[in-house]
Amino acid sequence: MSKIVILGAGISGHVAASHLRRKLSKEHEVLVVSPNSNYQWIPSNIWVGIGRMKSEKILFPLEPLYKKKNIGYKQAKAVSFYPEGDKSEQKPYVLAEYVAGTNQGQQEKITYDYLINATGPKLNFEATEGLIPGKNKTYSVCTYTHADHAWEGLNDIIQQMKAGKKAKILIGTGHAKSTCQGAAFEYILNVEKELHKHNVRDMAEITWIANEHQLGDFGMDGMLMSYGDMIMKSSELVEMIFEDRNIKWIIGAGVNKIEDGIAYYETLDGEYKVETYDFAMLIPAFSGHGFKAFDKNENDITEKLFKGFMIVDADYTPKPYEEWTVQDWPETYQNPNYKNIYAPGIAFAPPHAISKPRKSANGTDISPAPPRTGMPSGITAKLVADNIIDSIKNGKESLDHKGSLGNMGAACIASAGYGFWDGSGVSITTYPIVPDFVKYPDSHGRHLGKTFGAIGLAGHWLKLMLHYAFLYKAKMRPFWWLIPE
Amino acid sequence: MKRISPRMRFRMMNPFLQFFKFIILSIKIMVIVAGGHGGTRKVN
Ligand SMILES: Cc1cc2nc3c(=O)[nH]c(=O)nc-3n(C[C@H](O)[C@H](O)[C@H](O)COP(=O)(O)OP(=O)(O)OC[C@H]3O[C@@H](n4cnc5c(N)ncnc54)[C@H](O)[C@@H]3O)c2cc1C
Repeated sequence: MSKIVILGAGISGHVAASHLRRKLSKEHEVLVVSPNSNYQWIPSNIWVGIGRMKSEKILFPLEPLYKKKNIGYKQAKAVSFYPEGDKSEQKPYVLAEYVAGTNQGQQEKITYDYLINATGPKLNFEATEGLIPGKNKTYSVCTYTHADHAWEGLNDIIQQMKAGKKAKILIGTGHAKSTCQGAAFEYILNVEKELHKHNVRDMAEITWIANEHQLGDFGMDGMLMSYGDMIMKSSELVEMIFEDRNIKWIIGAGVNKIEDGIAYYETLDGEYKVETYDFAMLIPAFSGHGFKAFDKNENDITEKLFKGFMIVDADYTPKPYEEWTVQDWPETYQNPNYKNIYAPGIAFAPPHAISKPRKSANGTDISPAPPRTGMPSGITAKLVADNIIDSIKNGKESLDHKGSLGNMGAACIASAGYGFWDGSGVSITTYPIVPDFVKYPDSHGRHLGKTFGAIGLAGHWLKLMLHYAFLYKAKMRPFWWLIPE
Repeated sequence: MKRISPRMRFRMMNPFLQFFKFIILSIKIMVIVAGGHGGTRKVN
């Protein structure tokens, strides 16, 4: 009998837990440890943040589902890792603290045979002074509670505009090294569209602010893509959309401080500037959770497990951008020091960025961290689960399932406005996610046939279809596994 | 700079044309997902 413990019930943790449970017999235990009692389909937070969807529509409670499916669940957060056990506990374990219920605040040693760390990112708002969701007129859409607040803030501004007050709206990244530009991109387009619906578009000045050196970088070094019968850069695509929607932009900007309605930022040119606003949605920096790890004698071995995020089978040798290769990226998401520990989704430490790193004239790093979107999060979680299943069934370590971000595609359907007949979406697919300049030297490291963009109503329908399909899958309804990650 | 022309906009928002686009995009995305994934390193 094996016990598999999964930390986190986001896209990757939940995908891993559901596949493990489906394919392993009942004698094996699958246990999920996660502080949030709800599963949330994060991509639809964008619509919560514009008041078009209630947060209840994008979440469901995990415990009843897990009970029904014979998956164990503890509403707790991992605190520290003991991959060799300790003096009193022979088995490896994770120290977890309950966050709700009668045992709230109590800690427990949760032993395991296999551990999947799927804790995603820490939303590191503290890295930017004054960037606090719901304070200083700044908001976030990274969780459903943040998105609910964002809608309240946006609605206030809309009402003020209806009463005749002009407003400045600022959306983008709230730190020099933020990632997830795609989410901010979706939000700015949705907000712009909503202002039209409320007949106040002409009262608002909307500005995009981002750490990207070029529009459309998205932390993926930009893309050269097919668009209809044209080949265009992602920067041209985004510029075309912003021009069309009368959205201004500030790029190469590292936001470093927020005061009530004022964003302070440094540019790649080394200038220090400010931008005022009445409503802002700024994506924070993402970081690891600051977990500690100890050996059986309780010596600190954190550096064997973590490098901010969790260390996996990547090549972490520091090297300049020109020497980066797709081979640097992990394939199995297994920790090299403790081979029964894995980290899919956002929880693994990337070997380096994807976009070319850039410093300001003052030496400040201003460039996006690498994004890891929903599709690769799900795919990496499934392959980790499959390797664990094979290892258990074969009685020896099996790592046949591999999936490097340098040999995997991703589809990002960015909502550009809600509405069944007048909505819109920007559909972008990328293959591979990490550009392979050796395989595709003439097309900026990507396969042009599989890297394409499309704008239009179909994109909205696609995004809506994905919302329903992935919630159906997450609820483990009949034949859920037929829906791919 | 490229601009969205009235003709492009008509095509982007026409439900009839977009229905076909929806089918095509769904298939193209499925092909990319179902196209699979793998490692990048040489195995000895
Ligand atoms: C607003 C927004 C929109 C997005 N839109 C898209 C999109 O359209 N398409 C797309 O592909 N991607 C999108 N993404 C990205 C996508 O949401 C992420 O790639 C995905 O959520 C990553 O999954 P994950 O499981 O690795 O992390 P998460 O989803 O963040 O899950 C982490 C889990 O770990 C839990 N956890 C945290 N700390 C602990 C702890 N100490 N112990 C145990 N558990 C812990 C959390 O409660 C959570 O359950 C979007 C992201 C945002 C923020």
